[in-house]
Amino acid sequence: MELILFIFLSSWLIISVLGAILVKNPVHSILFFLSSVLATAGIFLNLGAELIAGLQLIIYAVAIVVFYVLVITTIPWEKVKKFEGIYLGEFLAGLPFIVLSIVFIIFLINKYDLGTIPVNVDMVDNVSKVGKSLFTYYLFPFEVASVILLIAMIGAILLGRKEE
Amino acid sequence: MNLEKAYIVLGFLVFFLGLFGTIIRKNLITILICTEIMLTGANIILITVDSIIGGSDAQILSLFVLTVAAAEVAIGLGLVMAIFRLKGYEGSSEITHLRD
Repeated sequence: MELILFIFLSSWLIISVLGAILVKNPVHSILFFLSSVLATAGIFLNLGAELIAGLQLIIYAVAIVVFYVLVITTIPWEKVKKFEGIYLGEFLAGLPFIVLSIVFIIFLINKYDLGTIPVNVDMVDNVSKVGKSLFTYYLFPFEVASVILLIAMIGAILLGRKEE
Repeated sequence: MNLEKAYIVLGFLVFFLGLFGTIIRKNLITILICTEIMLTGANIILITVDSIIGGSDAQILSLFVLTVAAAEVAIGLGLVMAIFRLKGYEGSSEITHLRD
């Protein structure tokens, strides 16, 4: 059952990612990216990380994808037409590098054992475990993340301002 | 190859496909989408390692990766819109002011 779920979700994810990097129209690319986000949330649920799966759906599939579509609709299409698609020379030059890197990494992962640590399974659910660790031990990085979001918001407002 | 190794290989595959997309795409907005795909691959590897060792630290790291992704989208799309408004193009092969 685990294997069937893995094969289904991973093939869904790979097909979505290939569509997102190869399709011509940017709106279709964003829709393929939305499909890959849904597949990733399924993989996270399958691995037992329910909180990250829900946050993935909320942040990526709702906020970021809607933001992309909103930006694309403000761009006039007839000026964008000549920048659709991919560079063919870079495609042919980059393909051996990517294939070689993936083969090398598969070889390295297969060479060594992962070293499973024996886990005493406590029946605390995922959300309470992550939340307790986030608000006690990782409190300072959490506050720094909020400052990062504030600075990004100010920067986006400054960049998107109309010049007087 | 057991299933955990297959998940890690899947994460690396998604990461390298995103890297390949940033190399080959012409449009700046789709290059940003490909960087999001790279961050997704990193998240898959983090969650897989966390489910192997049974902890919760890598999930918090992937939460911070989500935060950085949101900030990166806001700044990146603002830059793309500023380039498009000032120069009137958005192809990645025409932004060569640092080279000239």
